[in-house]
Amino acid sequence: MAQEKTYIEDIERTLYDIKNVDKSKYKSQSGLTEDIIRDISARKNDPEWMLEFRLKSLEVYNQLSLPNWGPDLSELNMDEIVTYVQPDAKMTGSWDEVPEDIKDTFDRLGIPEAEQTSLAGVGAQYDSEVVYHSIQEDLVKQGVIYTDMETALHEHEEIVRDHFMKLVPPKDHKFAALHGAVWSGGSFVYVPEGVHVEIPLQSYFRLNAAGAGQFEHTLIIVEKNASLHFIEGCSAPKYNVTNLHAGCVELFVNDGARLRYSTIENWSRNMMNLNTKRAVVGKDGVIEWVSGSFGSHVSMLYPCSVLKGENAKCEFTGVTFASKGQNLDTGASVIHCAPHTSANISTRTISKAGGKATYRSAVKVTKNAPYAKCSVNCESLMLDDISRSDTLPTMDIEGDEADIGHEATIGRISDEAIFYLMSRGISEDEARSMIVRGFVEPIAKELPLEYAVEMNNLVNIELEGTMG
Amino acid sequence: MNKEIFSEIPMRTWNWLGVNEATVDKDLLVESQKLDIDIEADHHEKMVVEYRKESYGIVNISIGENASLKLTQLQLMPEERNHANEVNIVLEKKARLQLVAVETGAKSFASKVNIILKGDKSQADVSVLYFGDGDRSLDMNYVLDFQGRKTVGNLEVYGGLMGESQKIFRGTLDFKQGSKQAKGYEKENVVVLSKGVRNRSVPIMLSGEDDVVGNHAVSSGKINEDKLHYLMSRGLSPAEARKLVLEAAFNPVLELIEDEVLRQEIDSYIKERLENE
Amino acid sequence: MEKLLNIKNLQVTVADNEAEDASKEILKGIDLQVNKGEIHVVLGPNGSGKSTLMNAIMGHPKYEIAGGSLEFEGEDLTELKTFERARKGIFLSFQTPEEIPGITVENMIRTAKQAVTGENIKVVKFRRELKAAMKELQMDESYAQRYMNVGFSGGEKKRNEILQMLMLQPKLALLDETDSGLDVDAIQIVSNGVKKFHNEDNACLIITHNTRILKQLNVDKVHVLMQGKIVAEGGPELIEKIDKEGFGFLQGAE
Repeated sequence: MAQEKTYIEDIERTLYDIKNVDKSKYKSQSGLTEDIIRDISARKNDPEWMLEFRLKSLEVYNQLSLPNWGPDLSELNMDEIVTYVQPDAKMTGSWDEVPEDIKDTFDRLGIPEAEQTSLAGVGAQYDSEVVYHSIQEDLVKQGVIYTDMETALHEHEEIVRDHFMKLVPPKDHKFAALHGAVWSGGSFVYVPEGVHVEIPLQSYFRLNAAGAGQFEHTLIIVEKNASLHFIEGCSAPKYNVTNLHAGCVELFVNDGARLRYSTIENWSRNMMNLNTKRAVVGKDGVIEWVSGSFGSHVSMLYPCSVLKGENAKCEFTGVTFASKGQNLDTGASVIHCAPHTSANISTRTISKAGGKATYRSAVKVTKNAPYAKCSVNCESLMLDDISRSDTLPTMDIEGDEADIGHEATIGRISDEAIFYLMSRGISEDEARSMIVRGFVEPIAKELPLEYAVEMNNLVNIELEGTMG
Repeated sequence: MNKEIFSEIPMRTWNWLGVNEATVDKDLLVESQKLDIDIEADHHEKMVVEYRKESYGIVNISIGENASLKLTQLQLMPEERNHANEVNIVLEKKARLQLVAVETGAKSFASKVNIILKGDKSQADVSVLYFGDGDRSLDMNYVLDFQGRKTVGNLEVYGGLMGESQKIFRGTLDFKQGSKQAKGYEKENVVVLSKGVRNRSVPIMLSGEDDVVGNHAVSSGKINEDKLHYLMSRGLSPAEARKLVLEAAFNPVLELIEDEVLRQEIDSYIKERLENE
Repeated sequence: MEKLLNIKNLQVTVADNEAEDASKEILKGIDLQVNKGEIHVVLGPNGSGKSTLMNAIMGHPKYEIAGGSLEFEGEDLTELKTFERARKGIFLSFQTPEEIPGITVENMIRTAKQAVTGENIKVVKFRRELKAAMKELQMDESYAQRYMNVGFSGGEKKRNEILQMLMLQPKLALLDETDSGLDVDAIQIVSNGVKKFHNEDNACLIITHNTRILKQLNVDKVHVLMQGKIVAEGGPELIEKIDKEGFGFLQGAE
């Protein structure tokens, strides 16, 4: 008998990779039909207008074609994707009521622990439904709402109806339409005027079922002069079939408000991550994005900021690390629609072991945005010569009062820098990883400590075995 | 009207930006003026190509080992005419190219320049000047393709836009796998003089090779107010001051034009258009 | 006296960038011994091979040892990697220190100290020592939290090199034009730093153009390097002679 060789197919990501037996209560048929959508809608007890919205979105989905730019999506076969997987668990506010295997998963990911030490509220989604939600009592008293989208749809129907997919309409692109048709789960946050949520809220999205899709919808409204830091985490164990994530995030930052939206994304390497995130910012408002993309097989993710009110600001900080078998197409876009709006985009991309990292951005300054200011800085690091790193920014500027600057660099770790560190007694491997960690430091320092540690761990995991 | 895709960027992006491809009238591409040039190894040449009435021109050049070429291409088409041109250049080992391109004429034009740094240690230095006023439309697509080892490519672009002019400048540095120790640099500086302008820039950097150094930078803004103020404090009118500042901005390209008469012609052509603002 | 550095007939080549597969010989047979407690100075015109000597001792991959021997405390260095040499107790103060974004000065020195000593360095004690050393060099404390050399002026970079030397306490410090580009006050600070560092258990090998820095130090031996060879050796009196007359009088030495 031929000796079977052991191939290390993927990096060690044990923590994220432990999969549970699929004990789902209900799964829709794979594929996308009107019947499936009616079925999901009925099970979720949607109001009538939501069913109509879903069906309309399906229509749009069928009319739109795949984008003729960006990564190849031909591997994705919608007929094989199960769009709705209902876990055998009810939404609860107590971890004790969450089924053991699901709770264990979130324990391993450190969610209940973080909830105790550093979060003001937590949402946890498992496959298609949110299984846990909590928020500190004093925030409730101040009128802050933090709950799952299904609950919000019933308890705050008017607010949801006024905002749901208004920023990202289904016709925006094919996967936005798909999202409109099959969305399930996600978080709803409402921060009333003048309220400052000092400690972050976090929602964690875990996709356990093989061959499934996750389509959570996150809707955040930060009213006038209020502030919030929201953290989004996501992961999934690895399967040999394609999983799909087509979430949608809509952020409404009103006049004078401030929202920080942080994401550490670590999907498994069989995930197609086609996510849409968009924020609209009112007068004197600020949106801050902190975005770390480490996982997934293919990603297309470009958080968009619409600076609608005078003096609105956007800060975008992103890091993308593409390794073997990954094609991560990430970036940002900013639309300046009002005078004196400003934006800062700073990104770092790393590629290695045949991975492909693309930075893609759009900066649009309309005629209505005199004195707009935007500066983009993007740096790419390549760790070997079998990987790819591409940078494709576009600036589209109208009017004569805008001040726009863009800078990008591409290259590898300099031999001289390694020699310098080695001359201080630091080994070559450690020198390299120090330099890589230093390279992503501008992003790490924007994250709360424990998430910075997590990001550093992810970087270290990625670097293991490539050095030396 | 019957349109045809004339040039495309090497990697597509969002369609709503309208920068993926340049289309031109089919009729424009019917009659071309074609020029094929071989610079033999170790030869050193200078050439000037001028477009004053041709609607479409193609220049194909190969530069042999250790050879060099200074190519000055001036597009000075009359205001009411449309125009398209393309330049394809292949550089062999240690070949050198200096390309000076002035894109100031025509009502609407599209140009594409494709430079292949094929041989090791070949080098291309490209300087571009564009100027748009009225309702002109300017469309440019420059690609530097790094293939050989230790190749060097520099792309410096200086532009001025006024009136209701529209411009797209795409500049690509494409480091192919194997282009070890290549160095590429791209810079575009645009001065915008009027509200009605639409200014699009697409600086692309593609790399399949880690052992390279690539940089690009774009800056777009209005004319430096401090400079204007300084000049006006010396008695210059606002219009005169603007002219002077813009002229200074174009100088890095203008001074590369060796023919005094041509340089004067371009200089006064731009000045005249600034007057009519 | 205990021998620290022992170099015999050292020949060093560097890969020639212009001609492929060719290399250029820069050092053409150098003999040099440095004992514990000594300060040596290497003088020589630009391009004489002074920095090459420093880089070869530190093990820069660009420089290849084509012949001769290079020993530290009786042990052959040539097969050791740069970081292994550093852990043996060799330190190089760079002529142009690298900028390393994202790594703070404190983090860098602590990591290095851990690597060199093989011990876990306690944060509180380390911070105290770092602060004291920075004060000595008249560096603002805030520099501990800045990224390595990023945005530092030439003089600040050099001070940061001396700071690392004081914190790492090597047995042999190689100072490659640590004084270049410094104003009078900064030279004073740097040479005070070197003076504070030096004792009978360690040694310094100093390259300089500026002999002012040497006035503060008790130089034991001076070597003059020209075109890859040592053409003259002597005591501190040689410094004064070169200061006055330049290298001209040595041209005939070959």
